[in-house]
Amino acid sequence: MNAPFFKFGLFGDEASLIVAFIIGIGFGFFLERAGFGSGRKLAAQFYFTDMTVFKVMFTAIVTAMLGLFWLSVLGVVDLSLVYVSQTYLAPQIVGGLILGVGFVIGGYCPGTSCVSAATGRYDAMIYILGIIAGVFVFGEAYPLLKDFYSSGAMGKVTLPELFGVSYGLVVFLVVLMAVGGFVGAEWVEKKLAAKVKGVQQ
Amino acid sequence: MNTIDVAAPEDIEERAPVEVIHKAQPFWNSYLAGIGLGLVLLAAFVIMGRGLGASGAFSSLVSVGINVVSPEHAQANGFFSENLGDGVHHPLKDWLVFEVMGVVVGGFVSGLFAHRLKGSVEKGPRISTGKRFLFAFLGGGIMGFGAKLARGCTSGQALTGGAVLGVGSWAFMLAVFAGGYAVAYFFRRQWT
Amino acid sequence: MHELTTTRMNPQIDPTLHIWGWEIPVYLFLGGLVAGIMIISGYFIFKERYKHSYFSCFWLPHISLLLLSAGMFALFLDLEHKLYVWRLYTAFKISSPMSWGSWILILVYPTLLATTLTRIPPAFQNRIKVFDKISTFINQHPTAVKNIGVLSMIVGAILGMYTGVLLSALGARPLWSSAVLWVLFLTSGLSAAAAFVHMITDDVYERELLAKADNGFLIFELFVFAQFIIGLLSSTQMHQNAAHLLLNGPYAAVFWVFVVGMGIIIPLIIQLLAVNHKVKHTPIAPIMVIVGGLILRFVIVSAGQYSHWASAGL
Repeated sequence: MNAPFFKFGLFGDEASLIVAFIIGIGFGFFLERAGFGSGRKLAAQFYFTDMTVFKVMFTAIVTAMLGLFWLSVLGVVDLSLVYVSQTYLAPQIVGGLILGVGFVIGGYCPGTSCVSAATGRYDAMIYILGIIAGVFVFGEAYPLLKDFYSSGAMGKVTLPELFGVSYGLVVFLVVLMAVGGFVGAEWVEKKLAAKVKGVQQ
Repeated sequence: MNTIDVAAPEDIEERAPVEVIHKAQPFWNSYLAGIGLGLVLLAAFVIMGRGLGASGAFSSLVSVGINVVSPEHAQANGFFSENLGDGVHHPLKDWLVFEVMGVVVGGFVSGLFAHRLKGSVEKGPRISTGKRFLFAFLGGGIMGFGAKLARGCTSGQALTGGAVLGVGSWAFMLAVFAGGYAVAYFFRRQWT
Repeated sequence: MHELTTTRMNPQIDPTLHIWGWEIPVYLFLGGLVAGIMIISGYFIFKERYKHSYFSCFWLPHISLLLLSAGMFALFLDLEHKLYVWRLYTAFKISSPMSWGSWILILVYPTLLATTLTRIPPAFQNRIKVFDKISTFINQHPTAVKNIGVLSMIVGAILGMYTGVLLSALGARPLWSSAVLWVLFLTSGLSAAAAFVHMITDDVYERELLAKADNGFLIFELFVFAQFIIGLLSSTQMHQNAAHLLLNGPYAAVFWVFVVGMGIIIPLIIQLLAVNHKVKHTPIAPIMVIVGGLILRFVIVSAGQYSHWASAGL
């Protein structure tokens, strides 16, 4: 049991920043490989013409989730030291809805906008300016929002704890759900491609 | 007067090299890219005990900016002062700030290797560039606000929180898709 | 900065030095950049490539005059008693690197002027008769041109080296007392200059040649870094502490990510692929090299002031 390495003191804060940079390079690299440097591709998710966002996101979640699960079962990773953010149900749901709206209007999310701006898209650069403005507005409005911001607090609760089932069962169900979702996504994409072809004929 | 003849290069090595035109490569298979992304996320968990993120870097950036312009205002505001750190470390020496710098470099390198670097505007055929810029700014503003309210964006809350099965993160993820699908119809002219 | 009337025991010196701000690193960078430019344009003039309208021989000397003057202005801003700056040139103290430095800059300006006169751009012709006459004279004597090229290379090399020599003469700062600091500064200046020219030139041959030269300088710079660190690590405890400042101390993140990662390794990979025609030439890589060089100077000056002999045993 010697992972997460940082939490076991393998390296210090300065080195963790170097690790952050390297991990960020990997993150940006795969985001761009998937095509998330293109706002059109990202927004097409919400018109059912291109399900790449769903496929990539859930593949990534399932991969990391399975990896964590099996590494913890093998005793390599100490799951209690892995950071789980606190759940504040109300602001997270409302914030998520707002974020979804911003996603469709702007065409990016903060991570993908950086990747897109790095590959030369001017609208992504303006989007980044928008994010800065949005964060500024939130900061200024924070005294008014403080109570709502901390409402619905449930602490660090995970899905297995919430439903009272075992970790492995939830992992299994999530994998099933993801596979079902992928099959559905492929079907939707094919159907819409056929529809577009039909229209063109 | 200057009497220089501009002679043509005589050495063989001074022939101008041929410029090679590179065509943009197709994107990777979504599942392969997703696995790659998932492995990077897993590496972050195993090495650091934390996941990825993006919007946190913007909080730090804005807070530092406000602090430079008006330190009293920054200290008085709960949100900005929280992001300015404990006074020991410079707030820009933050894990997420370095990670986002890596994202920019990684995205650039990937785009360069795949010949996908191009100064362009991503938009549908039915909208003008000016309107697209306006929507991009608005969308960014809304997304920035929402991300701070939810304490994360799709990278931090959805990907990271989803992988560790956090309840709030999964609720957030469903809300993002719901919000997006709900308003997609009204903005179809921008994209299709 | 406050001029010191005591030699010790004041908060500007103990425990760490707080004398030099941003002006010195900016000057070090611009000085190194101009030094590299002088070597590159000197080489082009020496090889008589000025016969073809290469950028290096054309506008580069003029740009370096501007850059060097900006650097000198930064130095001037750092002075405490600015009105007495002329006193630097009323004496030459042979045992003082600082004095050497002031006089070397007196050599640099005429050399740059001579380099500009090897070929006056059409926009500047017929403006100043004296320059036109000198230029014609130079061009009628091919050996004069070659000598100007050699002079430019030598004076450029001295300019790039002396700042490193000056810092390494300050034995009280363990980080700076390394034998290869001047090699590091000279190489960094050369690579920044090669990146700069590679970025702004129109001529494809020149761009390819300078990108390849830049790759060579970057690889050499990696070796020089290794020698620099190893030299410090093989020395006294204070020198080892100073080296650890950069390797895993408070300056580690900035050093590895900005100076080595984004300043050398990533642009090197990009430029290696570009000169082999695997990817398009992009201005981003040379910009990274130039910014990396600037941040290197900031790190060396700042970390150098932080390192001190009283840290033994801490």
